[in-house]
Amino acid sequence: MEKSEKTVDGFRFLPPSLSAWIQTRIPEQFEGSIPWTPLSKPVNQATFSMVTSAGISLKTEPPFDMEREKREPTWGDRSYRALPKNAGEGDITVNHLHINTGYILKDINVMLPLTRMREFEEEGIIGSLAPTAYSFYGFQWENNDFLTEAIEPMARQMQAEGVDAVILIPA
Amino acid sequence: MGLAARLLEEARFSTVVLTPMPEFHRVVGIPRSVAIEYPFGRPVGDVGDSKGQREVLLETLSVLAKAEKPGEIWHLPFTWPESPRETKWQPPEMSPIVSLYLDEIKEARRRAR
Repeated sequence: MEKSEKTVDGFRFLPPSLSAWIQTRIPEQFEGSIPWTPLSKPVNQATFSMVTSAGISLKTEPPFDMEREKREPTWGDRSYRALPKNAGEGDITVNHLHINTGYILKDINVMLPLTRMREFEEEGIIGSLAPTAYSFYGFQWENNDFLTEAIEPMARQMQAEGVDAVILIPA
Repeated sequence: MGLAARLLEEARFSTVVLTPMPEFHRVVGIPRSVAIEYPFGRPVGDVGDSKGQREVLLETLSVLAKAEKPGEIWHLPFTWPESPRETKWQPPEMSPIVSLYLDEIKEARRRAR
């Protein structure tokens, strides 16, 4: 369903060869059912969390494993990291072999906008920002084990922190 | 990321995916997508552009409230100020999977011409 005059072209920034290849690997349209949980309260009363697939970790914790992926190109790290809501550029490292990670290191908000969401919390635009945000590693090649190893544990912590809604931001 | 959104939605969270590649919806079926034509790795906005980041995020929040049924994609009107080549979003080294499939990738381009 298109809702505005502009239609985003997700292939615009890709090299033509990579674009052509990806287009051979995705279907014309999705067939099947899609889960649905309506927002249970207004945005200005809801508690939010955020998830990014950019491979962000705290400097105090082990980084996402890039070395194994370099040896085994179809393997992607399936772990996840919890990130405190007050984390900033000085607290993090970023590991991702499919993007230039330098921008996130300069300003975490380009990928995981914790500062902006804390501002929204202070201004009353959102109800609250949960204590924890999350990162996993987005390169998961024909393997969905990350759902049980990373996303399910996140969901349990979100439930414990009273989260209503989640913004997910892929790299 | 679409599969993660589906799992969270099934776990009774309302989700929205802010994505530079809305076409991936066609692979997995995503409950709510907000599409943005920004380079990979900076979907919220450029370094230091707090005003622009706020605008993108406010639009994303609004879709949580106004999307009416699963599978909707809301396309944001914002445009990135640089040409694709100038964005320098790609990693310093070719990714392992692209190296592995390089012949197939080149062949896909030949066929698309």
